[in-house]
Amino acid sequence: MTDSKYFTTTKKGEIFELKAELNSDKKEKKKEAVKKVIASMTVGKDVSALFPDVVNCMQTDNLELKKLVYLYLMNYAKSQPDMAIMAVNTFVKDCEDPNPLIRALAVRTMGCIRVDKITEYLCEPLRKCLKDEDPYVRKTAAVCVAKLHDINAQLVEDQGFLDTLKDLISDSNPMVVANAVAALSEIAESHPSSNLLDLNPQSINKLLTALNECTEWGQIFILDCLANYMPKDDREAQSICERVTPRLSHANSAVVLSAVKVLMKFMEMLSKDLDYYGTLLKKLAPPLVTLLSAEPELQYVALRNINLIVQKRPEILKHEMKVFFVKYNDPIYVKLEKLDIMIRLASQANIAQVLAELKEYATEVDVDFVRKAVRAIGRCAIKVEQSAERCVSTLLDLIQTKVNYVVQEAIVVIKDIFRKYPNKYESVIATLCENLDSLDEPEARAAMIWIVGEYAERIDNADELLESFLEGFHDESTQVQLQLLTAIVKLFLKKPTETQELVQQVLSLATQDSDNPDLRDRGYIYWRLLSTDPVAAKEVVLAEKPLISEETDLIEPTLLDELICYIGTLASVYHKPPSAFVEGSRGVVHKSLPPRTGSSESAESPDAAPSAGQAAEQPAVIPAQGDLLGDLLNLDLGPPVSGPPLAASSVQMGAVDLLGGGLDSLMGGSGFTAPGPAAPAAMGAPLGSGLGDLFDLTGGVGTLSGSYVAPKTVWLPAMKAKGLEISGTFSRQVGSICMDLVLTNKALQVMSDFAIQFNRNSFGLAPAAPLQVHAPLAPNQSVEISLPLNTVGSVMKMDPLNNLQVAVKNNIDVFYFSTLYPLHILFVEDGKMERQMFLATWKDIPNENEAQFQIKDCSLNADAVSSKLQGSNIFTIAKRNVEGQDMLYQSLKLTNGIWVLAELCIQPSNPSFTLSLKCRAPEVSQYVYQAYDAILKN
Amino acid sequence: MISQLFILSSKGDRLVYRNFRGDGGDDVTDAFYRAVTSLPGDQAPVFMAREGQHFVHVRHGGLYVGATTTADTSPFVLVEFLNRLVTLLREHCGTLSEKSVSVNVALVQELLGEMVDFGYVQTTATEVLRSATHGEPETTKAFSLLDLRSVGLFGAETQQSRVAPGSVTNRPVLPPRGEQGGRREVFVDVVERLTVVIAANGTPLKVDVQGEIRLKSFVPGACELRMGLTEELSVGTEEQCGYGRLPLAAVAFHSSVDLEEFEQERVLRVTPGPGEVTLMRYQLAEDVAVPLPFRLLPSVEWEPAGRLRIHLKLRCDLPPKNHAINVVLQLPLPREASSLAQELSSPEQTAELQGGGRSLRWAIPRCQGGAQLGAVFRVQLPPTPPLGLGPAALTFELPALTVSGLRLRWLRLSAPPGAPPGPPQRWVRHLTHSDSYVVRL
Repeated sequence: MTDSKYFTTTKKGEIFELKAELNSDKKEKKKEAVKKVIASMTVGKDVSALFPDVVNCMQTDNLELKKLVYLYLMNYAKSQPDMAIMAVNTFVKDCEDPNPLIRALAVRTMGCIRVDKITEYLCEPLRKCLKDEDPYVRKTAAVCVAKLHDINAQLVEDQGFLDTLKDLISDSNPMVVANAVAALSEIAESHPSSNLLDLNPQSINKLLTALNECTEWGQIFILDCLANYMPKDDREAQSICERVTPRLSHANSAVVLSAVKVLMKFMEMLSKDLDYYGTLLKKLAPPLVTLLSAEPELQYVALRNINLIVQKRPEILKHEMKVFFVKYNDPIYVKLEKLDIMIRLASQANIAQVLAELKEYATEVDVDFVRKAVRAIGRCAIKVEQSAERCVSTLLDLIQTKVNYVVQEAIVVIKDIFRKYPNKYESVIATLCENLDSLDEPEARAAMIWIVGEYAERIDNADELLESFLEGFHDESTQVQLQLLTAIVKLFLKKPTETQELVQQVLSLATQDSDNPDLRDRGYIYWRLLSTDPVAAKEVVLAEKPLISEETDLIEPTLLDELICYIGTLASVYHKPPSAFVEGSRGVVHKSLPPRTGSSESAESPDAAPSAGQAAEQPAVIPAQGDLLGDLLNLDLGPPVSGPPLAASSVQMGAVDLLGGGLDSLMGGSGFTAPGPAAPAAMGAPLGSGLGDLFDLTGGVGTLSGSYVAPKTVWLPAMKAKGLEISGTFSRQVGSICMDLVLTNKALQVMSDFAIQFNRNSFGLAPAAPLQVHAPLAPNQSVEISLPLNTVGSVMKMDPLNNLQVAVKNNIDVFYFSTLYPLHILFVEDGKMERQMFLATWKDIPNENEAQFQIKDCSLNADAVSSKLQGSNIFTIAKRNVEGQDMLYQSLKLTNGIWVLAELCIQPSNPSFTLSLKCRAPEVSQYVYQAYDAILKN
Repeated sequence: MISQLFILSSKGDRLVYRNFRGDGGDDVTDAFYRAVTSLPGDQAPVFMAREGQHFVHVRHGGLYVGATTTADTSPFVLVEFLNRLVTLLREHCGTLSEKSVSVNVALVQELLGEMVDFGYVQTTATEVLRSATHGEPETTKAFSLLDLRSVGLFGAETQQSRVAPGSVTNRPVLPPRGEQGGRREVFVDVVERLTVVIAANGTPLKVDVQGEIRLKSFVPGACELRMGLTEELSVGTEEQCGYGRLPLAAVAFHSSVDLEEFEQERVLRVTPGPGEVTLMRYQLAEDVAVPLPFRLLPSVEWEPAGRLRIHLKLRCDLPPKNHAINVVLQLPLPREASSLAQELSSPEQTAELQGGGRSLRWAIPRCQGGAQLGAVFRVQLPPTPPLGLGPAALTFELPALTVSGLRLRWLRLSAPPGAPPGPPQRWVRHLTHSDSYVVRL
């Protein structure tokens, strides 16, 4: 800031001088003085002391002077409401002036004065001006209604201005129509339920007619309003599209984009078989491309929007790759956006061209851009399989340049390539290893360590390499430490004989010398695994990892659909839905694309139809680049895809066992048996001090996991069953369902000969064994019984779905009751879906089958939620962090083979979670939700 | 909708401020300046969300022209409007500079009042604003270095080898009211931008020509203008281009252009008010072989001890009667160079190291068509393994030439009745400049 900020108050003398000039008789002098006042006001000086003098100049026939005085009034009326009243008479008089410019000016200014007393006087003049004969006055008055509504909404409604405003939509002057539409749209936003903008085919027709005649800015208001209209069928959608299409060649980019927005939205309704659909698609490309020759700021906005459009409809721009090539004089923010779009458009057809470009970019000067270009090469390799080899050799060329940041980026992306194409490009490892010393960024170091660990058996000196990292273990970042731990354990499992010391060293570093709980816990888990069951350890640690797939940063389909509705608003620039960045009172209306109508319903779209065949090519939702490594690390821990889920059953089951076994071997110092050549490790001694932690840990794991069991409730009160009271609950343990019953004899006689039977039910639940009560039940005695159930009984759909009708017999009588079982007892252990399957299935299940629920008042974080749910066989497949909120993608399977897919959205500050469920049998959704709710709240 | 609008000097001082919707505090300009100056390099500055506000801005002539806005507004409206505002301010105040804006605050405020109401853009048309505003511009004689780039265009030699008056850029388009005199002039510029990428082996990878026809009129009142374009012009795929055809891939016209005679005669008819309009924008079809103005023949030798010897031969392939001016070649170097030795073919050329030795800049003020220039550079680099050199980027201007060959054959003006005798002065200029001309090595 410069000096002027420090002199915000004008010197006394100056104000005094201005005062004198304002009261001068000479018109010219007066005008000059007011100009000076305005100039001072504009730069932020306080000239409110001159209020009465300026208002005195108001009564003039000089329009320029009048405008300046009005400007002054708008600025200071709020701080001096009493003085402002003095001006009211002049305002009211001016509203009747024969000159339309003055009438409009007066009504425009009055609307901007946010003083209650003045607004009262505004109503009458405004009413007249809304019906003025001059369109300039009418269009100003239309806006004034919106202004008044902003100050006092009730007043506007009471005075009936809204109806007058609605009438203006049929005005003969297009500018009046446009302003009326703009004002109504704004007012309607604060009354989402009201039917203010009553859009129907007739009014739409009027708007479309006005569209051809009004100014460019008016066209935008009208187009934006059209975008909110929902055509009743595809024919109407097409006819609107036809009339909007000419706007695509307008010189004003804002008009073009508003038109694109309307077309993109209405296209959803058109059948893809139509010739018109194809024609429309072709018409969308040229205007988008033209935007890229505009000023850089516009280019940037355009690119952000194009980025969304190519994700939704890649076919529009698939032939336009060249226009996204970077120019050397583009600003960096334009370059980065172009790069992103290039990768999205990359395909087998153009990959050679793209790679050649990217390689050039990687030798440019700007470091940020170069890094991104190198990453882009890696993304191409993952996206276009045929090009992988080429990409790898390009990356190797780049590594040869020895430019530090290029080498590091290249190694990070090569790691990803290995994950996509395992056992294919190991020949390059030697080259990578040569550059070990130059790596100084954690991400690159971690990537390199991962590669060494993963391919330890093919790298002769893997142990030396890893050992060299181990020296400075405590100075490394957590990311590197975790990776190093995993890599050394992998190495040990692959080459047990030579690397014992190393693994001991890293385990003790991780468990004893580290304060980081993640590192310590992982250390203990490996340790325990290794000491109890090396074979299992091998299965877990060296398990085959799921392949990563394409597009690491694709926007999720649901968010993308929402964002497409916001094309041409700020949301499209930030790539966030408005709910993520709009604060305050105005309600955010959630927008969604219209459903497609017409014949192609089942064939849906060419991009979805072949999904089964090319499932592998479908982009999976994988956490963004940065999270990838964390994800990777977690995968090591995760259960082998085919095996039983670790946390759910085996830990719980094995907890005691594990502790015992591990303890023995540790205490005894007898070592553990490793596969292959025996590995007589003497690990016990140095590890003794870690034992206490070990206990804590197992204890913790034990209580955390396991299927949730509701407390017992009374099912059959004694009153109704001649003294027999039955309470119970359902549980699921290690794959079997149990009905836990407590039978209490509240009668005076002994009960015996118990038997139980279920009516047919939705999931075929049936007792797997007879109800065995060994001794007769004496009065006031109760017995606890765990009745195993199976799901092979006969099936009948019940209402509610989870209703179970039970008959219990004893020596006295037969009693009937019904109970509702929680659905999660039916969630089976192998309910974890593969990521790609998940994605394909999610896309495949029609949107109507999606159900959304709120889980209220739950304060758990995402990880706790995930582990809690996993205990009940709800498996988290992927976790992402989107705009600060965690998204969990989960799957579960019911005993009868129904898959349920879930998306759980957790906002850290909000105790309500949003649960979206997709299932081919949508009727189960509600009960799945109940199960979720019950599990999470206990 | 636009909530507040402001123009700040490069130092953050508030020059113009207007609150259209009565919300938000007065301190937004400070918040904006803080945000824009503390922005990390990898983030785009165009839109910023700070402290609950959404800022948008463009920079022109060193000034920040910005606005705050609500979330549901079209970003295109905002950027497009700000750019229009800049053009209008230029038309009304002559130049856009700190001085000219602060002298004309009252006029700018009056304009804003007509242009935007309650945040809704009403109009940006010069003639509409002209009839609705009453303030008179005060011109400043200040000459700003930042406006030099526009001088390049209007100060360039014209095809009639007459020099257009240099003062044209900083003169308000609108003559003072009541004065019928003033200089009555019409400028029509055909300006093309050339984007070229040439591969290391000399084949052009990408040649992209975008052009526009701009009209700047200083004639008060409406007069009809007719201009004839090159007849070989063809648009889209309407006819496959034979020899000598000039096919355009895309054409957009300003809404005021009358295209009645365009199909047959390639004649544009327009009746402009005073002010500046872009009459036509076009893009040359991709498959046209455009003669490239420059060829670069490099040879690079590594000498021992990290010395790099670069021999550049630059051939100007323009017709001999044409020439290029302000030719600058930028060559990024693989490492920070510590010293530079040069041999240039003529004394008016210069060469220097830039960006801390990361790039080499060779400037040639003027280069006649058909000429071949040579230069030998020796740069001292740190002794590390080499990363590839380049790519070389050229910037230049080609006065009196359009690479596509699109020209204005003639320009006719019919004065409105009651106009002073004698036709207004007409200036037609053709110019090509490099948007991005990259030669890979």
